[in-house]
Amino acid sequence: MLDVRDLSGGYEPVQIFQHVDLQVSAAESIGIFGPNGHGKTTLLRTLSGLIDPWQGDIFFDGERMNREGRRGSRKWRNFNYDAVTRRRMDPKKVARAGLIHVQQGNLLFPELTVTETLSIAVSAASGRRGWSVAEVQQLFPRVAERRDHKIRFLSGGERQMVSIAAGLIAAPRMLILDEPTLGLSPKIRQELCGAILEIRKTGLPIILIDQDVAFLEQIIDTLYLFDHGRISGRMSRDEMPDHETLMVMLFGERH
Amino acid sequence: MDPITLISIIKGGLILGALYALMATGLSLVWTTLGIFNFAHGAFIALGAYVAWQFSSADALGWPMLPAVLLTCAVMFLVGVILHFLLVKPFERRSDVVLIAVITTLAGSTILENGLLLIWGPRSKQIEPLTRGEVDLAGLHLTTAEILLLVLVLAILLGIGMFLRYSRPGRSMRAVSQNREAAQLLGLDVPKLYAIAFGLSALTAGLAGIFLGTIRFMHPAMGSEPLMKALVVVIFGGVARFSSPIYAAFIIGLLEAFSTYIFGVYWAPAVLFVTMIVVLLVKPEGLFGKYQRTL
Repeated sequence: MLDVRDLSGGYEPVQIFQHVDLQVSAAESIGIFGPNGHGKTTLLRTLSGLIDPWQGDIFFDGERMNREGRRGSRKWRNFNYDAVTRRRMDPKKVARAGLIHVQQGNLLFPELTVTETLSIAVSAASGRRGWSVAEVQQLFPRVAERRDHKIRFLSGGERQMVSIAAGLIAAPRMLILDEPTLGLSPKIRQELCGAILEIRKTGLPIILIDQDVAFLEQIIDTLYLFDHGRISGRMSRDEMPDHETLMVMLFGERH
Repeated sequence: MDPITLISIIKGGLILGALYALMATGLSLVWTTLGIFNFAHGAFIALGAYVAWQFSSADALGWPMLPAVLLTCAVMFLVGVILHFLLVKPFERRSDVVLIAVITTLAGSTILENGLLLIWGPRSKQIEPLTRGEVDLAGLHLTTAEILLLVLVLAILLGIGMFLRYSRPGRSMRAVSQNREAAQLLGLDVPKLYAIAFGLSALTAGLAGIFLGTIRFMHPAMGSEPLMKALVVVIFGGVARFSSPIYAAFIIGLLEAFSTYIFGVYWAPAVLFVTMIVVLLVKPEGLFGKYQRTL
């Protein structure tokens, strides 16, 4: 369903990841595991079109998400990028195709209430069938409880829940979750993991970044190891070793 | 100061305040969503006045007022969308867009003003007042046009407020202004929402121009002085909420009316600016401001 071919990218002028190949079928969920600061988030931001890829292609459901070609030469980059060349990706197109990205530590819309935020997701889905507000409220009882509060008064965990809820409403056909459990207390974390497991059970494919191997194991079918901006390993769930062995694979004996 | 004078000063202040509120709302709408100050807002005011004059004046097309105003609104919305596309959109993603937009919108403003001069000539014009009645309230002299202006401006502001709060595009506009990336990731059409915001802002400027054209003489640069005041209002009040520039507009309007009476026309702007500087020294985010840029 998602087909990433030889993708490289980064923030001008620094290249962050290179030659990433990634195939995700419609029934599959994958995990990406790797150290912080090695480009996982940048890769996902490129997939969802927030930043332009430097080279390579992204296909979602057979449709090309990026414009053909490579990024402009150094000479071109000195001109106004938006006026002279066109952006090579449009996040709106990606989201409307059904690849929904729930950002790491998403601050959402601080001055809007939870209900307003969810209603914006409804209008963003514009007719395509996503989850209903009632369904996400059932999945996240906390979101229902806090429906009249502004987002900026929510805790980090609640905000993450609203964020995922909004993503589900926006008619996803594949969901990207970028470290959803980062910095949460154990109790909230457990609640969130349970909800993600529920989402997985509906058959929605998920791309999940997380640092907790035990949690990844519950959700995903295939794990990709990612370090220094490259995919350095691929293993199915059955081949997945425990956390300690993974760390050794990534960093060597002493880490 | 006898009570009649006092009341008529307050009346003058309220009318000024209403006009400033209308302009400042348009200005802050663009500032909060697109993150730029639109210096062509003053030229929009003049353009709105001239377009309405063209439709309504007996010397030109001579239409009745209501269709003339509605059509002016439509024209202004379109002009706003087009100018957004020409002046702002190409630079939208640059980190220095604020500075570039100052120059491009100033350029747009100059071109528009000179275009007005070219088309309609330098002779001063005036739009027919909306109504011609007069009311005497316990010695206070009011024209019905003044009352209508106050009522209409408040209704328009209320309408914009409701649009932002309850309508889908309005809500989406607030969302984009608060977190552009998150809005994009949900699949909202951000360029379209920006264009709507700019068009809406131009529309309010056009309405302000129509009101201004009925109470003063029109000339191509008629918008620059009110734009200055609207800027002061936005900075003075802050943009924490939709309503904060509106309160600030009435405060500034009253302040201007009183200082004009007490210190004279020449000193009134100075009093305004001193007040603004003092407020900013104490509250840098404006009188009702909080440290953030949102709607």
